[in-house]
Amino acid sequence: METLFHPKSVAVVGTNKVKGTVPHDILDNILKTDFEGVVYPVSPREKSIKGIKAYKYVVDVPDDIDLAILVFPSSVCHMALEQCGQKGIKAAIIISAGYKEVGEAGLAREKQLIEIARKYNMSFIGPNCLGVINTDSRINLNASFAREMPETGNIGFLSQSGALCTAVLDYAIAKHIGFSKFISFGNKADISEIDLLYYLMEDEATKVILMYLEEVSDGRALMQAARDVIEKSGKPVLVIKSGRTDEGASAAASHTGSLTGKDEICDAAFEQAGIIRCNNLEEMFNKAIAFAYQPPPVAEKVAIITNAGGPGVLTTDAAISNGLRLARFSEETTKILKSALPATANINNPVDVIGDARADRYTAAIQAAFEDDDVDGVFVILTPQSMTDIDTIATEVTKIAEGQTKPIYASFMGARDVASGVNILQKHKIPHYTLPESMCISFRTVHHFHSSLKQKRAGVPTMDRIQAELAKGLMDKALSNGREYIPEVETIEILKAYGLPAPQGKLATSVEEAVEVAEQIGYPVVMKVVSDQIIHKSEVKGVELSIKSAEDVKAAYQRIHENATARMPEATIKGIYVIKMISGSEEIILGIKRDPSFGPVLMFGLGGIFVEVFKDVSFGVAPLTLEEAHDMIKKTRAYKILKGIRGLAPRDIDAIAEALLRLGQLALDYPQIEELDINPMFVLDEGQGSVIGDARMILNKTL
Amino acid sequence: MEKSEILSRVKEVVGQVLSMDVSEITDEANFIFDLGADSMQSVELVAGFEEEFDVELDQDKALEVQTINDAANFVAEYV
Repeated sequence: METLFHPKSVAVVGTNKVKGTVPHDILDNILKTDFEGVVYPVSPREKSIKGIKAYKYVVDVPDDIDLAILVFPSSVCHMALEQCGQKGIKAAIIISAGYKEVGEAGLAREKQLIEIARKYNMSFIGPNCLGVINTDSRINLNASFAREMPETGNIGFLSQSGALCTAVLDYAIAKHIGFSKFISFGNKADISEIDLLYYLMEDEATKVILMYLEEVSDGRALMQAARDVIEKSGKPVLVIKSGRTDEGASAAASHTGSLTGKDEICDAAFEQAGIIRCNNLEEMFNKAIAFAYQPPPVAEKVAIITNAGGPGVLTTDAAISNGLRLARFSEETTKILKSALPATANINNPVDVIGDARADRYTAAIQAAFEDDDVDGVFVILTPQSMTDIDTIATEVTKIAEGQTKPIYASFMGARDVASGVNILQKHKIPHYTLPESMCISFRTVHHFHSSLKQKRAGVPTMDRIQAELAKGLMDKALSNGREYIPEVETIEILKAYGLPAPQGKLATSVEEAVEVAEQIGYPVVMKVVSDQIIHKSEVKGVELSIKSAEDVKAAYQRIHENATARMPEATIKGIYVIKMISGSEEIILGIKRDPSFGPVLMFGLGGIFVEVFKDVSFGVAPLTLEEAHDMIKKTRAYKILKGIRGLAPRDIDAIAEALLRLGQLALDYPQIEELDINPMFVLDEGQGSVIGDARMILNKTL
Repeated sequence: MEKSEILSRVKEVVGQVLSMDVSEITDEANFIFDLGADSMQSVELVAGFEEEFDVELDQDKALEVQTINDAANFVAEYV
């Protein structure tokens, strides 16, 4: 990987003299940016390009080559790669398009490239990419067809889309945002975003990692890589994952399936891995510059310095609603502010230096705020009034910020008049935001990231009371006859073997047995039809609740049989499930759903209206730590209800967390489980546990 | 027409279009990888073959032809 970014010699294979074409512009970019190594143009027809001797074939180059950049059309690119292998080149960037992205024929060509690379032990980025930029002054490599080289900085950018890269570069250049490495990885046929994440983890020039992804092909590997990067290097990973909408969810068979959109899973998985997901480029760069330019805040208390009341209030609102707090100034600070500012100024936080403020008032107020122990960060707000010396104030801000251990962000509100001042701030790496809201969100993000860095992720707990042998026998039986749908009784038996709280009760195959079970467990009981063919029991009137006597059991047994047979004559009824009825509990839903990218995912939600109407559910990728299981519960609006509101007793939240951990273990042990629903699960008062109300499972027959 | 004649006339067309000495053009030469033909020249080559042999070639298939030999075989189907 190092050779890719720090080559001493580069061959541009397939280049030409035609300006405005990719083969020409790549060579041109390498030469224009004063690449520190040696460049070899390889062109079938040209003797020289831009005064540099060109070679017909890469194998004709007399010297060793570290990196080949392939710009031939896809129809012949494999021939060029083969020659690169013969030449002993170990790293390549394949810019050419016309591969996987164009269909079957392209996919075959891409596989051919992979085979050649394996044969010669080569690594390559691409195909179908914009290229790679390394701004390190010892290298100065712009091996891309971007229009311009960005400034040197400490942000590493990875993108699946090449075209987006050009937009990002344009945006970044305008705002003086610098990059350490800028990598378009295209079809990732060989080197993937995971490899690149690990590379940037080790890269000393990179402090912040940004990624644009269009699909997550291996979600678990991405989560692991992000966790490693964050834990080992402390570098934040910010990701835009496009494709938020998902129509597939509604087609899923179970309740968990229908509530589980891919994007919600992606959101949950990213959060679990510590990835900061961003909705758009602006949000991503707003946060990135806060990470890249300024020290992280120790805590969330800010001082706001403004030259206008309204914007001060706006910023205060934005700060408070984003979980920040206003610092309370010390007597010393108040004294300094009083002497430095006019009598009409507001010397409390937010400090209003008044509309006619020149740079000296800002300087005094910012300095005083920095020195106050209660201040964790400073927000400078400016509105362009007729006497406001915008550029001087901007310059003063950059001077005061130098060497500070606390962060300073600015919002010069407006557009035209503040432009040159904003430019000064951006040049000197003061994070600037058009809106105070973005400033507060960015501050919170940095603070939250650094606070969570301190809390090491606990290990995944080993669950006791798992009867592995029993569970295996039950699963083998469930899997034995090619069924996809596993009904309640069998699913509950498996859950019970995993230590989940099964209801008291039994499958009864006769009226007498039903009465016997009911008498044994005590009234009231619930009775439910059991049949492999009946998925929705209540639709065939196959469920009866609150049965309080032996006589009622007999009558219910008869009725359920008759109802089910009348409504679904083809169903084979295995018997009636008689279980203890639970009252005075809260109903929740727990589930497993297997995601093609993230693997087993767990779901939690409060039952009834919360799930049906509000889709108030949360997700977590198994295995979970105990803290993550609790976080899943806390994330829902229903959490407040479980904690106990209006004098109601709190419910047994620990029991829910434990159930999630056990489900996670089951999902990991049996990849054949496609979906599993526990709906409902009755959660009793704190310390009293929970009981499964109903459960079912969908298996993947192909595994 | 003999295959050898087609081959030699194909090379002459290629030499003219790509401004190359015919002696530099081998039978196995790939239009793009070895001879450096760009997309415009590829279209010119097809037109050149049509004129030289007085035939009308299937444009899409003609543009897929990779080597001199393949071009001679392709033209042979029409003459």
